[in-house]
Amino acid sequence: MSGIIAEGVTRSFGEVHAVRHASFHARAGRVTGLVGPNGAGKTTLLLMLASLLAPDTGSIRIGDIDPVAEPLAARRLLGWMPDALGAWPSLTARETITTTARLYDMSTPDAAARATELLALVGLQELADAPAKVLSRGQKQKLGLARALVHDPQVLLLDEPASGLDPQARVHLRLLLRDFASQGRTVLISSHILSELEEVVDDAVFLVAGSVVDAAPAQSATRAWRVRLAGATDERFSADAWQVASTLGIPVESVGADRGAVLVGFPGEDAAAAALRLLVEARLAVAEFAPAQSALEHTFLNLRSATASPPAHPSSETEAGA
Amino acid sequence: MSAAHIATIARLELTQRLRSVGWYILLGVFALLLVGITALAFMVYSWGDAMGAGVYSIIVNVVLLLVVLVSPTLSGNAINGDREAATLAAIQVTAASTGDIMLGKLLAAIATGGAFLLVALPFLAIGLLGGGANALVLLVSLLILAVEIVIVATIGVGLSGIIARPLFSVAATYLVVAALTIGTLIVFGLGGAALRSEATSYSRPYDTNGEVNCDEWETYTYEVPRFDRVWWVLAANPFVVLADATPTEFNDDGYPVDMFGQIKLGVRAAQQSPVEQRWDECAGNYGDMRTPEEIMEGTVPSWFVGLGIQILIAGGLFAGAWSRTRTPARRLPPGTRIA
Repeated sequence: MSGIIAEGVTRSFGEVHAVRHASFHARAGRVTGLVGPNGAGKTTLLLMLASLLAPDTGSIRIGDIDPVAEPLAARRLLGWMPDALGAWPSLTARETITTTARLYDMSTPDAAARATELLALVGLQELADAPAKVLSRGQKQKLGLARALVHDPQVLLLDEPASGLDPQARVHLRLLLRDFASQGRTVLISSHILSELEEVVDDAVFLVAGSVVDAAPAQSATRAWRVRLAGATDERFSADAWQVASTLGIPVESVGADRGAVLVGFPGEDAAAAALRLLVEARLAVAEFAPAQSALEHTFLNLRSATASPPAHPSSETEAGA
Repeated sequence: MSAAHIATIARLELTQRLRSVGWYILLGVFALLLVGITALAFMVYSWGDAMGAGVYSIIVNVVLLLVVLVSPTLSGNAINGDREAATLAAIQVTAASTGDIMLGKLLAAIATGGAFLLVALPFLAIGLLGGGANALVLLVSLLILAVEIVIVATIGVGLSGIIARPLFSVAATYLVVAALTIGTLIVFGLGGAALRSEATSYSRPYDTNGEVNCDEWETYTYEVPRFDRVWWVLAANPFVVLADATPTEFNDDGYPVDMFGQIKLGVRAAQQSPVEQRWDECAGNYGDMRTPEEIMEGTVPSWFVGLGIQILIAGGLFAGAWSRTRTPARRLPPGTRIA
């Protein structure tokens, strides 16, 4: 299994260029995050990977199969969970799973057994025989996940799977995806809840305005760190800010405020580590010293400000592959 | 293509329908309607000795009417309705092929139309108690009715795959079905009346003593509508197909005993040219007054042409829907979403 490979994938709808020349590789055995702002083309890209939409140009491989040429073969490998589950309203959760299983050529007893197994896995046992129309949004997401797993797919495509899930279900989803990847399968997951994505993904693909962009420059941009001294309050902020700034030898105007804590920008982790040493050696009572944003969030926000002009990074332009 | 997939998809469609209360109300209303119609039909045909055949033919025609009236609503959103509810993609992403989906949907739509026939079965049996219907009439009329159910269902499923919005595809299905049932009648009526020509009526003159003169003809000219030039328009009408295809039984006077025969007689009589009428009192039998049986023997059947046209329309729409539903989708009609 070589996971998912997209090379120079382009798709437009009339005048709208939803995906432009996107290339990436989601490796088997890893969870890959697909990150991008609303309207970046994430769903369009996932639809092409799921064999439902044909790209205008470019090639896709799911495992060793081209989903455009052999959609039926690709569909046996891939499980797809759309952002909004279209549930047959009058069917029960159990029937939804068994019907889907039957469409993957499972025998009726196998389909029934699989439904019981999957409903337990996603935590819908109690609602197994309730019609889908009474399920809440989160419960529908769980049903959608169970449906995507029916045929034990090698590749899992998830479009915003965590939306509507309660915290416990999110933890559960995370464990499930990690377990899935540890079996050597491929997971591609799109989301814009970046802090959550960060906890589960090994790799990230950044999609901006339909193009895959190289995250390296954005990752190396100056990042804000949150420094909180023990017992910090809003009233004490200016004193704390002055102490931190003078210890680090930077002008006090350059630090920011965040709920009583001081925000300081560092170009990289080494600079941050050196600064922490200085603060500790100066006997300041440092209670918190951490990046103010998650790494994904930091990269993502810097990408957005950096992509006023179309990107021309090697990773997003593979002319030879098109 | 797989029979198991087709059956699963058809069952999925029908399960959803069977769990809606509205569906049972609809069938209940239909059954009530049939009670009234059966009673009236018995009164209508009480004059002849083939009462059963008459009642039977009325019930079959009413079932066809109901199928034509209700089926577009039930089949006209088969595909785009699922697309709007985002449930189509859930099936498309499985191992079921486009053909499985199309045929599964069609099978469900046909079964839905067939349910009306099922409800009507007891009434057809009651009609037969009156006696007089022969086995060939039963067989052919039920077969044609079944084919018409399939055709209307195919048109509905086809348009639901071609048109993006369910509301418009249901309306379009009604328009196509109405074009066949009412449109053909309108074209026939207006066309015949518009294409008038001069007709001549011949009769024997009478002399002053009131004696008929058998050596001369008296002529009289007038304008007539030319239905014989537009009769073929009616061929595509489902009710005409049903009537024209069903073998006609005649009573001793040469008149058809059931509604199939009466409709058929009307269509066949329209084939006759009205431009020359002869009333020959010297010939003893009033010239060419022919019985319905003779008229039918002297004119051509058209049901296979009409059925062919209907199959062509339905098949074309279904093929169009098939290519629109194919995945991975290359071109999407504006305003459609995949999921």
